[in-house]
Amino acid sequence: MSVSLLVAIAGLTGVGVYMITARSLSRIILGFSLLGHAAVLALLASGGPAGTPPLANQNDPSTIANPLPQALALTAIVISFGLTLFMLALAQRQQNLTGDDLVEDDLEDIRIARMATDDDDSETEGVES
Amino acid sequence: MTVDSFAEPWILWTLLVLHVVAIPLSALGARRDHRLGLGIAAIPPLLTTIWTVILLAGSAEPFTTELLWVEGLDVGFSFRTDSIALLMTLLVSGIGTLVLTYATGYFSSSSAQMPRMTASLLAFSTSMLGLVLADSIWTVFIFWEFTSITSFVLVGHKDVDASVRDAARRALMITGAGGLSLLGGLVILGSEAGTTSLSELEPITGGRGWIAALLILGGVATKSAQVPFHVWLPGAMKAPTPVSAYLHSATMVKAGVLLLAITGPAFVDVATWKWVGLALGITSMLWGGITSLRHRDAKLILAWGTISQLGLLVTLLSVGTAKATFAAISILFAHAIFKAALFAVVGEIDIRTGTRDIRELGGLHRTMPIATAVAVVSGLSMAGVPPLLGFAAKEAAVEAALKLSGIDALIVSTSIIGGSVITVAYTTRFLLGTFGAGPDTSVAPRRPGMTIATTILGLGSIVGYIAMGAVNNIVRPAAIEIDKKAEVYLLYRWPGLTTGFMVSLGIVAAGVVVGAFILNRVDQPAPEARGADMVDSGLDRFLAWAPQPIAAIQHGSLPVYLATMVLVALTATIPFASDIDVDTLVLWDSPFQGALALAIVVAALAGAFVSSRLGAALTLGAVGLGVSGIFVVHGAPDLALTQLVVETVIVVGFVLGLGHLARSFPAAHATWKSVRMAVSTILGVGVALALAASGSNPSGTPPIEELAEAAVDEGGGANIVNVILTDLRALDTLGEVVVLAVVAIGILALANTRETEANA
Amino acid sequence: MIGGSSPVLQLGVRTATPLAILVGVYLFFAGHNAPGGGFAAGLVFGAVVTLRAIAGIQRPTHAMTLLSGGTLMVIVVAAIPLFFGEPLLDQAVGSIEVPLLGKVKSGSALPFDLGVSAIVVGLIIALLDGLGVGDITAKRPQSPDSSEVAS
Repeated sequence: MSVSLLVAIAGLTGVGVYMITARSLSRIILGFSLLGHAAVLALLASGGPAGTPPLANQNDPSTIANPLPQALALTAIVISFGLTLFMLALAQRQQNLTGDDLVEDDLEDIRIARMATDDDDSETEGVES
Repeated sequence: MTVDSFAEPWILWTLLVLHVVAIPLSALGARRDHRLGLGIAAIPPLLTTIWTVILLAGSAEPFTTELLWVEGLDVGFSFRTDSIALLMTLLVSGIGTLVLTYATGYFSSSSAQMPRMTASLLAFSTSMLGLVLADSIWTVFIFWEFTSITSFVLVGHKDVDASVRDAARRALMITGAGGLSLLGGLVILGSEAGTTSLSELEPITGGRGWIAALLILGGVATKSAQVPFHVWLPGAMKAPTPVSAYLHSATMVKAGVLLLAITGPAFVDVATWKWVGLALGITSMLWGGITSLRHRDAKLILAWGTISQLGLLVTLLSVGTAKATFAAISILFAHAIFKAALFAVVGEIDIRTGTRDIRELGGLHRTMPIATAVAVVSGLSMAGVPPLLGFAAKEAAVEAALKLSGIDALIVSTSIIGGSVITVAYTTRFLLGTFGAGPDTSVAPRRPGMTIATTILGLGSIVGYIAMGAVNNIVRPAAIEIDKKAEVYLLYRWPGLTTGFMVSLGIVAAGVVVGAFILNRVDQPAPEARGADMVDSGLDRFLAWAPQPIAAIQHGSLPVYLATMVLVALTATIPFASDIDVDTLVLWDSPFQGALALAIVVAALAGAFVSSRLGAALTLGAVGLGVSGIFVVHGAPDLALTQLVVETVIVVGFVLGLGHLARSFPAAHATWKSVRMAVSTILGVGVALALAASGSNPSGTPPIEELAEAAVDEGGGANIVNVILTDLRALDTLGEVVVLAVVAIGILALANTRETEANA
Repeated sequence: MIGGSSPVLQLGVRTATPLAILVGVYLFFAGHNAPGGGFAAGLVFGAVVTLRAIAGIQRPTHAMTLLSGGTLMVIVVAAIPLFFGEPLLDQAVGSIEVPLLGKVKSGSALPFDLGVSAIVVGLIIALLDGLGVGDITAKRPQSPDSSEVAS
């Protein structure tokens, strides 16, 4: 397996995770794109070494690159494309609502945590809010 | 028609399905009238009983049957019909039928809770049936847990009462914890024995045997209420009596003993199994008996007596001699019959007189003659007095105890004999206290449903003695199933004046004296349920403490959640690190690839640290270009082309959508930044290592030439990748475009809400 | 949003449109034997729509029509073999003579790819709509044809 590809995959994964743990939705979208690239490259890398393009009428089958991971990778690209577009639309909507694209803490979770610690009046509080 | 035509898997499956189908039907019936519901619920157990009797009478060939879900992992349901499974089925379904009949009388009004009660009783019966017939350890575990859950629902029947809820919770927590322990034990047992099938278990020799033994004994001890895990059983007596009679004396508490018997042969070489089992059994036998002598509530006397009897069974099975095993199976059978009868009678007394306190009861032999007769017969059977089934079984136990040799013999035989004396004593006290002299208690009229069931259960002890041959035909093969050497033993109606018989005589005499003596000291206060209180307060303290960790874990910060998930997922790659074969690694497929990889990493890093959104979007574009380049070098022009266009659209979309936001990203906290950096660096390296490891161990060579051939012949195209997408694997593509369509509709929906909000 | 567009940009886009469409059509038919395919072609068509929207020439519409039409088409192509006792999505291979490309050996993959392209274009139009790009053209009082002169 090509170490260069592994380095690219490691780099893309690392930066991708770094970006999706950010607060800004724009960065998260970019991070997901990078993770998508990493996944596609991982598919290619696991399919074997590089070769000539898998065109049966131009190249000898013994020299061509493994076409199966390419087909899978094509699907992966398309799906990550769809995902990215959807997140863009979400970010756009967030921006229309709040004027910014920051990911807030989950209010519901915070409320659960608060309910759990203020034990006595927790239940009534939960009902009221 | 021969018997073997009944030994068909489809009949077993039909019966099980019938049970399941009847559960909702019985609830529906009970909404109309509780007798109708219980009647519907009784049909499947009745049919199962008949089927079992046919198989047992004809000594049908045992069979196994399974419904596999995950092949190779043995995940699925599998059942067997060997002798011990059939014996237990007879008890579960036979007593189940009688208990359901009994319940028609016990529950008088068609209360709103009857549908739940009826359905839960049948659901329990179904779970128990599945448990006793189960062959694979997974099936055992699933049904084991089902019985715990249905037991919880049944114990908590009167859910308006706080003490009942506590009792139900206690039972669930203890048996549930035991279930987890059991699962651990079964997993180890399965891997040590190399099979998940109970009918194929061989003695295990591995070094982890003792862990499996301890864990399985944990399950056994909680389910079969062995000291110190017994505290849930007396509390469970808050359940309606049909439930107590069925679950907590005849069947569910026997599940632990059954498991002990079935898995016992695998642990013959594991000393832990024997000694821990003996310790549990002897303690429970003695402590249960002694506590029983101190109670005044007839139902609790019986419940503690059950703990004692279960202790006896555990002791006998742990001893491990063929004779003891044979005695254990015999007592298991006899006990289910007489204890169910005794509980049924106590329930009838409770309903008809309004009390279960033996000080307040008296003169029942005049007002409730049938119940008294059943109680006396069953009580004497429990005490081991001829001519009753319990006598023959107890005789076998005494014989087995006397036959023991070695250092353990003294302790075990003394305990068994001592336990038997106590059993006779609490039986005497129970019978005299409940039915003997005393103020006449006013009694409500008899209810036929209860009387029919108690009478049949009471007759069981007599018929079992008369038809000893038939009982031997049921009990002996089951004992042989566990220990081949048990084939030389038989139950006898009259053993002759052997040493064992003389000892039995002494036991009965001593027990009667002790029982009568203690009966007169009824002013002693009933023992407090200290163990149960400790469990309850422990649970309460745990529940009071639990919010703190929950608040800490459920902090609400999405980035921290993500980082945590990533770290956990990373642990999955650790096992692979050692599989990397350095020889399979090359620096690059071509120098271009190396250069492009470097460029990608640099661009990605730049994207992470550039502070403006537009800059970040452009670096993303650069990364996309680099990846396209790698595709070209790799020999994947389709990917390169698609990637290029995709990247363009995304960058344009990004700029259009987010470009006008504040130019710079908000600043993040420095510490959090370094944590993220650490996590993402580790993950990047971990993923690369895992990939390298998987690449080092290819499972075969890719069928490239076959694919090329198939593309031209079947797909009629030379571009193999596209033929795969539109023909060979077109279903994937179909799914993929559907995803795209759904995404598009989602985006349109988001856009529409914006318009609506703007208009509003 | 992106501000008003210059006449130069509009002219450029108008000139590029037929060329880009030609590229898309080539990719669409070439896909079976050479790099390309329905997805790539759809993306190129989508890029054309995007450019025209940004330049303020044409407001992108009919997302739902393209989406539903495309989905219907792929499903019909997928299901037809079932009626002939063949497995789902089985290929019917035939030859079609296409100008410039010569004989294209293809069959039911062609309508299938057409459906894919339609969905991709529909998706991109939906995105433009979702990002509010469509408003650029809508805000202009003039009809698209007269916009050139007006701005």
